[in-house]
Amino acid sequence: MSAAPESPSEQSQVVARAVTYRHPQAEKDCLHGIDLALAGGELVCVIGPNGGGKSTLLRLMAGLIEPSGGGIELNGSSVRRLAPRARARAIALVPQGLARLPRSLVRDFVAGGRYSHLGRFGTPGPEDRAAVDTALESAELTSEARRPMAELSGGQRQRALIARALAQDSPLLLVDEPTNSLDPAHQLSIFELIAGQACLGRAVVVVTHDLNLASQFATRLCLLDAGRILCSGRPDEVLRPEVLEPVYGSRMHFGELPSSLPPGVRPFVLPWSS
Amino acid sequence: MVAHSTPTRSLEQRPIVLVLVPLAAALAAVGVLSLMGGSTGWWSLGEVLTGLGHTFGLIENGEALMQVKFELRLHRLLTALGVGASLALSGGLLQGVFRNDLASPGIIGITSGASLGAVCAIVAVGGGGGGLMLQRLPLGAATLVSLSALGGGLLLAAAVTLAARRAGRISVATLLLVGIAANATVAGFLVLIQYGLLEQFEMAKSTLLWGYGNLDDRSTYHVRLVWGGLLAALAFVPFVARELDLLAGGEEDAASLGVNVMRVTWLALLAATIAASTSVAGAGPIGFVGLVAPHVCRAFVGRAHRRLLPACLLVGPLFLVGLELAQRSAFPGARLPTGVLMALVGGPLFFVLLMRQRHELDEL
Repeated sequence: MSAAPESPSEQSQVVARAVTYRHPQAEKDCLHGIDLALAGGELVCVIGPNGGGKSTLLRLMAGLIEPSGGGIELNGSSVRRLAPRARARAIALVPQGLARLPRSLVRDFVAGGRYSHLGRFGTPGPEDRAAVDTALESAELTSEARRPMAELSGGQRQRALIARALAQDSPLLLVDEPTNSLDPAHQLSIFELIAGQACLGRAVVVVTHDLNLASQFATRLCLLDAGRILCSGRPDEVLRPEVLEPVYGSRMHFGELPSSLPPGVRPFVLPWSS
Repeated sequence: MVAHSTPTRSLEQRPIVLVLVPLAAALAAVGVLSLMGGSTGWWSLGEVLTGLGHTFGLIENGEALMQVKFELRLHRLLTALGVGASLALSGGLLQGVFRNDLASPGIIGITSGASLGAVCAIVAVGGGGGGLMLQRLPLGAATLVSLSALGGGLLLAAAVTLAARRAGRISVATLLLVGIAANATVAGFLVLIQYGLLEQFEMAKSTLLWGYGNLDDRSTYHVRLVWGGLLAALAFVPFVARELDLLAGGEEDAASLGVNVMRVTWLALLAATIAASTSVAGAGPIGFVGLVAPHVCRAFVGRAHRRLLPACLLVGPLFLVGLELAQRSAFPGARLPTGVLMALVGGPLFFVLLMRQRHELDEL
């Protein structure tokens, strides 16, 4: 399975073709010839060591930065050529965090996701209000809607970030390390929320370090290391010693749990010092 | 729940009219009082109304000298209203663009750039003498001074912003430091010009008086200039207000929500520079209004720019005209230039704001 990037298919919503990227003033590329195709209903988890280029790939897919080579297309058109509002209607990005915590109310913050749907001087209409209500409800934040963002717990803030992206009502959802510094219960509920979006038909890409949550929820895993996709496939095809040990080292314990989802068993991986 | 009754919540939800109407009423009262009291003595409300009637052609006969004095007060008031609103709007826009409550037209170099531009033009057209400077100049020369102020403000603001911009982001700490360097350099040039003019008394007096920031002896020219700049800047507000709210989470976050970050940044900077530069052209450099007024507004209406910027348009002039009125009432004999008064009151206020924001500043 190693070194087997998938071939982009015709019906995919988003296709990255031979994407390379070099940071400004850097001497070397940080991503090399990335191919990734994704269709609605899929949940792809991008895993890999720190500094491997996962978040950069997400920013490229969101159209926030220009690839040095290759291109990313959404339903046939380059994401960099889309006007900013059109791009935001098509692609929603949930960042790891914000430069500064907004001092607005939760509902106003989530309503920011509707910006790309408003007219130039338009005030939010019934459709926008309904989209915000739905997003708050999906993220279980309806009862917190009138609270200031600053009062929310870490898990609730992460939900608010996701709710804002849901309010964008875009077919592609990109999520960057959503479970960092959250307790196990919140990690699970965040992934359930994200996986629910894939079930609704959205194409979802999640960058995560949590191999077990990825194993449990992803339809496909991509292992990214040193700017290259080393392996891509079902969780049971990627979460294997011969794939992961060259990347993470050998101090890991591998096992399997039964699952109601295909392929029937889900591997788990524990960091284990022995 | 306790959390549901926090001040932030009530601020953001309070209807904006409930804030704007009392502010407008207070401003109207301060405006009328300011027309009643001046260096030529206190007049009754009836005398002020008569003066207004004359000005708008509603009353025919009256005392000519009294009317001249009234119109001086009226032009002074109208210029002050425009300057206060322009500086507060400029400060509100800049604090939004730079996501920092300490940004102001003075700190990022607009005021000093416009001052240098104006002073260079004053010297080029041969001065004009004292507070009546622009009025005494032929219209073409006065326009040159105004355009030169606008050009100076735009150039320095663009230079400071570009210098603080790296890899598509504006570092606020760098911006403030570059602003300090730019202001110091411009101050050096201004002193150099004044030093070079020491032998030419009238010219030296013109540039020196300019530097104080003065609202005395204004004419319809100043009123048109300042209000023209304010209206031009206001035309940009619908294109940036909502976007500035979304910029609060960072440039990349705003871009992912569909904001054209570059366009919004430059439009807001342009609007802020037009407002502040025309204000400098009309009244000289007046500090601290642009810094303090948005802070006061946030305490009443919260942080959303669609609420904050209209409130700035009322609080800025209220701060400027109200302080002047208070000073003239408390010390009738002392005639302080407006820029000096603002520095004496605004400086300590700025210090208080800095101390209140220590936790944020320490992270820069």
